[in-house]
Amino acid sequence: MKFYYFHLMPYVMDHDEPSSWVTLSNRHYDPVVGQTLYHQYLDQLEYAEALGWDGICVNEHHQNCYGTMPSPNVMAAMLVRRTSRAKIAILGNGLPLRENPLRVAEEIAMLDVVSGGRVISGFVRGIGPEYFSLGVNPTHSRERFYEAAELILRAWTEDGPFPFDGRFYRYPYVNPWPRPLQRPHPPVWCPSQGSTETVEWAARRRFPYLMVFTPIKRIAQVYAEYREACERHGYTASRYQLTVNLPIVVAETDAKARDIAREHALWVYHVGLRMLPPFYQPPGYVTEPSLRRLLTTRPKLPTELTFEDLDEGGYIICGSPATVRDKLRVFADELRAGIVCSGMNGGSHEKTLEMMELFAREVMPHFREDAHVDETVGVGR
Amino acid sequence: MTENGSTTRQLDVRGTPVQLRSDGDGPPLLFLHGAGAGGRWLSFQDALARRFTVIGPTHPGHGGSPPAEWIEEVTDLAFLYLDLLDTLGLDRVHLVGASLGGWIAAEMAVMASSRLRSLVLIDPVGIKVEGWIYPFLFGMQVPEVVATIFHRPEAALALAPSDQSLDTLVELFRQNAALARVSWNPYLYNPRLRRRLGRIAVPTLLAWGEHDRLAPLVCADAWGKEIPAARLVTFARSGHVPHLEEPEAVAAAVVEFCAAADAGP
Repeated sequence: MKFYYFHLMPYVMDHDEPSSWVTLSNRHYDPVVGQTLYHQYLDQLEYAEALGWDGICVNEHHQNCYGTMPSPNVMAAMLVRRTSRAKIAILGNGLPLRENPLRVAEEIAMLDVVSGGRVISGFVRGIGPEYFSLGVNPTHSRERFYEAAELILRAWTEDGPFPFDGRFYRYPYVNPWPRPLQRPHPPVWCPSQGSTETVEWAARRRFPYLMVFTPIKRIAQVYAEYREACERHGYTASRYQLTVNLPIVVAETDAKARDIAREHALWVYHVGLRMLPPFYQPPGYVTEPSLRRLLTTRPKLPTELTFEDLDEGGYIICGSPATVRDKLRVFADELRAGIVCSGMNGGSHEKTLEMMELFAREVMPHFREDAHVDETVGVGR
Repeated sequence: MTENGSTTRQLDVRGTPVQLRSDGDGPPLLFLHGAGAGGRWLSFQDALARRFTVIGPTHPGHGGSPPAEWIEEVTDLAFLYLDLLDTLGLDRVHLVGASLGGWIAAEMAVMASSRLRSLVLIDPVGIKVEGWIYPFLFGMQVPEVVATIFHRPEAALALAPSDQSLDTLVELFRQNAALARVSWNPYLYNPRLRRRLGRIAVPTLLAWGEHDRLAPLVCADAWGKEIPAARLVTFARSGHVPHLEEPEAVAAAVVEFCAAADAGP
């Protein structure tokens, strides 16, 4: 199994506002505190490489306290020159949120060239509130996503210049310099929450599917759908196409890990993902079949999840090194997930570094049967 | 189908299915509803039907009209309803539109005011007004929407969904998506429309709720400045939807205005 260290770069704070997104005033953001946080978070990502993680992950979110990386490419650029081995997974760029997605093709190619071909390029749609924050019409989201992805892939793989005449994006000359180093292009991942349309699209293109913040039962369902779709498209999915974003809390004992998780891991769900109902599902953002499924299954909102829901539901993994190993075995052996992307939060920078060390020492070595395999060969392109 | 005396049928407008309700006798009057009021026949329409043949299409994506993929802007809806006039063989009509319907009506009027006998715009949106930014309804929860649209919140009950069933929730989402598709950004206006309003060459009535918090009276002034022969009448006990809050009074003003236009100068 491959381990990637994932960061949201949250601005951890408590507040009584109804939403941590869109409307939470940025007067709460203290740039002096922010400077310290950015450096600690980047140190954690760099330390992950030193401790043996296979990859480090950044991601894009806008105008909230949940994640302060509006430009993941900027963060990736800082990491490229401070690391030398780890993959740098950008999970991802919110394609429909860009007015000019050719810029994504250019920026990723730059990072890929400078990093010597270590970049993984996630393509995402961006979540509901971001359509409010950035003024992009959510009813165009899906079409813009597919069109921008098509444009970027062609820009990376076809000799330029060529014209591109889409519904949303039009260029007389597509001819980006530089071209990416990886051939035919950097691996593309699809971080998502399991919409049927995205599963189908990713499987068809051989793009790894990353389940984000979902209970283990749902992950198993979506993995099965994805594997089935791959077979339908005439190939068997590599285990490195099935990935999961799984926060991990590890400590000397189960009890201690639970205390830390209750105090710190819950913040993401109860504060970080708190938002007004209209922001969750902007008009036209999901298809009607997906909406019907959501309304029928009524998954709990993040703010409704208790620690027990998260722990027992397999949204997170929490425990002593032995417990974490056992729980991770389920993901490795039963779900056959090939890559686990995990963020950690020990409550302070120092304690987070200690938790990472404990994980690298006591857990990671038990899952290294595939140490010699490059997880990006033949995957994501 | 017949309800409150009105009849409902499905019409094919150059390949786009549109649900149409109509009632009454007399000169034809096309009524274009606002967002959230699709497929509803309220006392306002009944009152107009006493003097006119009221024709009330439901916008695609609302109520009984399925969404139409090709509709991307409000001008597309304006072309749809000009086509509808052709489909129905109507030469010249009185055109009445409320809110979003007023915006569509104004777009029709700048395209083809020769097809109109008169124009009534009830608290329309659709133009940019200096010093005013329309409050973003899509980001609001229901109580806040009601407080923004209605002067008397109890009038909102007329538009309340009949139930909370899966189908109803999906229909509301579909309707909201149809609205968002044409109005999310720029929000509730067409940057080109204001410059074109001077082309409207028929008698025009601006009917406005004095307590409109979505498009307040400053907007009425802007419309009045651009449309050469517009007359403004305001309603003291209404917000954004006077035809729902004071239906009898608004209908009386509309009837009187349209009848005068029919009588001619």
